[in-house]
Amino acid sequence: MTATYRIIVCDGTACINSGARKLTTLLKEHLDKHGLTENVTIGLSGCLGMCDKGPIMVVNPGYTIYGGLTEADIPEIVEEHLVKGQPIARLAIQEDHLYNRFFRVFGDAKFFGHQMRITLRNCGIIDPESIDDYLSLRGYEALAKAITDMTPDQVVAEVESSGLRGRGGAGFSTGMKWKFTAAQEATTKYVICNADEGDPGAFMDRSAIEGDPHTIVEGMAIAGYAIGASKGIVYIRAEYPLAIQRITKAIEDARAHGLLGDNVLGSDFSFDIEIRLGAGAFVCGEETALIHSIEGARGMPRPRPPYPSVSGLFGQPTLINNVETWANIPVIILDGANWFKTVGTETSKGTKVFALAGKVVNTGLIEVPMGTTLREIIYDIGGGIPDGKCFKAVQTGGPSGGCLPEEYLDTAIDYDSLAKAGSIMGSGGMIVIDEDSCMVDIAKFFLEFTQNESCGKCTPCREGTKRMLEILTRITEGKGQEGDIEKLERLGNMIKKSSLCGLGQSAPNPVLSTIKNFRAEYEEHIREGKCRAKACTNLLTYEITDKCVGCGACRRVCPVAAISGSPKKEHVIDQEKCVKCGMCFNTCKFDAIAKV
Amino acid sequence: MPTPLDLIKKKRAEAVNRVVGRGFLATKRVYVGMATCEIAAGSKDVMDVFQKAISRGLTDIYLSQKGCAGRCNLEPTVEVIEAGKSPVKYGKVDTEKAQQIIERHLKKGQVIQEWVID
Repeated sequence: MTATYRIIVCDGTACINSGARKLTTLLKEHLDKHGLTENVTIGLSGCLGMCDKGPIMVVNPGYTIYGGLTEADIPEIVEEHLVKGQPIARLAIQEDHLYNRFFRVFGDAKFFGHQMRITLRNCGIIDPESIDDYLSLRGYEALAKAITDMTPDQVVAEVESSGLRGRGGAGFSTGMKWKFTAAQEATTKYVICNADEGDPGAFMDRSAIEGDPHTIVEGMAIAGYAIGASKGIVYIRAEYPLAIQRITKAIEDARAHGLLGDNVLGSDFSFDIEIRLGAGAFVCGEETALIHSIEGARGMPRPRPPYPSVSGLFGQPTLINNVETWANIPVIILDGANWFKTVGTETSKGTKVFALAGKVVNTGLIEVPMGTTLREIIYDIGGGIPDGKCFKAVQTGGPSGGCLPEEYLDTAIDYDSLAKAGSIMGSGGMIVIDEDSCMVDIAKFFLEFTQNESCGKCTPCREGTKRMLEILTRITEGKGQEGDIEKLERLGNMIKKSSLCGLGQSAPNPVLSTIKNFRAEYEEHIREGKCRAKACTNLLTYEITDKCVGCGACRRVCPVAAISGSPKKEHVIDQEKCVKCGMCFNTCKFDAIAKV
Repeated sequence: MPTPLDLIKKKRAEAVNRVVGRGFLATKRVYVGMATCEIAAGSKDVMDVFQKAISRGLTDIYLSQKGCAGRCNLEPTVEVIEAGKSPVKYGKVDTEKAQQIIERHLKKGQVIQEWVID
């Protein structure tokens, strides 16, 4: 019997342009000729990042990477490798880059094959609690390279040239931030890792730290060298116990190996990291509030400037980056800014991690190059909408972001295109919404969250979000009034313009974007008292249809005894008594209760 | 005086030695997801099954925990990696399935196709 092979063809733009798809067709013809169609499966991957060596094919088992292929090579691959089992050394390329290391293990599964992983490269393939595992995969080599071969200025220049932008949400140039902090003259400077992840449904930072904590430690140490800081702090929320345990162990192990502490790797550079726990206030993800929290003050933001790069923790120059930003740094130093720049779009380089959730078949944590379209994420990776339902919208950016309808599915996502479409990149929450969800209700959900988390320091955010929430609540209860939509718009824009920090400046986004894209739903709630998704319970009634067999299950479960009927006869709901809890609907096995 | 880069290369060689010393070159490597999400889905019990099998005499296996690979709705996940073969990724592994993976895949080399993530 001939061995079974799985071939992955890179379907990135550069490989397509150099003829990858034609090679796939040719490959299929030759497989057919040799009667191998049954034994060899062919899959497509997203860009593998080796664009200068395309077209690329990966043959598994064995993980042989063939590059620079021409049509003449295909018969040889089929005859030598697939028939005789002899990989062709002449065509194989040897790669020892940091990025995409996960691909060797996971690349042949469709969900993973369309991803490119820079920051999550080691997640799921190493033991996160073993520094030996990390060291084996060129761990801390970027730090050693920076100290040995580069001046601090060169490190800053490399990060700036990579085009990396802050992954916490705002997308400010990381290199600029480093440059500003490096330029300050001060005896003490600080490096902070912002791991205060708080968006509902977001778990990018937790997974990154739990899966590969040393990457964060190494990235921070490189920054310490680059900007002249000797103290680092990881600010992480206390509700992530396992992440705290793993990053603490990583710091201790790094110290024991001389990778942190005095005279790192025998050099003049000294750097150490400590952990500070956050109590879980959403606003503490804002950098000035986070700094206040570390200082022991109440976690509230302050106006900027001065920016933390000038006057941050204890008045000293401070560099704050998000977990995902830190995880990019070792790759930029080792694989080079020149490679990093080849991934992504004109204005947004590299990859972005998203927590893909909601009404999508494959929920999960994904990392894709900037410029991937929403359609590719939701359908190719996410596997589409379950239960044959229709796509309605996708919410990006968590409570600070917006909802984008179908017409934006082909938008190539980066910081700027999402902002232009009325949403934001944010830290990477992505919730898929189907036809069963009410857009007013969703806007209300997110606003409830931000309203609750508003620190109360500035009036627009404290009072404004409260008033907006009141209006939204009355709309979902069927008590909306003419002019409510306009009021929401006016209030929302006012809050965006006049709030002190990012929390308030972005809090109205879910409301404003749903009004912009789904205005008709708001109008239906107000004018017709109708919720088309049948999600707002105040706007619907439960009725028993003729499918009822009289089993009595609904009658027994009703908490207010609103259902009556004799056994084996159709039951009725007393609408006067019904409190619309939905218990009967969830209990009925015969689909005999309708939302009307 | 060795440079930091020289030192890290030496450290890497030592680390590789230690990993090999822990049995990395075993015929089959088994990775069990142990992030918060995987543990919540029951991966600690799954890990226990593999550990017990090893303590009861299952040999030539390198067992390791791993972080979250991102396949949320199929957790807990377990990978079996063998030189010269495609890596096998199992999803929704519970203690019963873990036992089957040990009996059929680890002992007899049969991949249990219906649980494979592809």
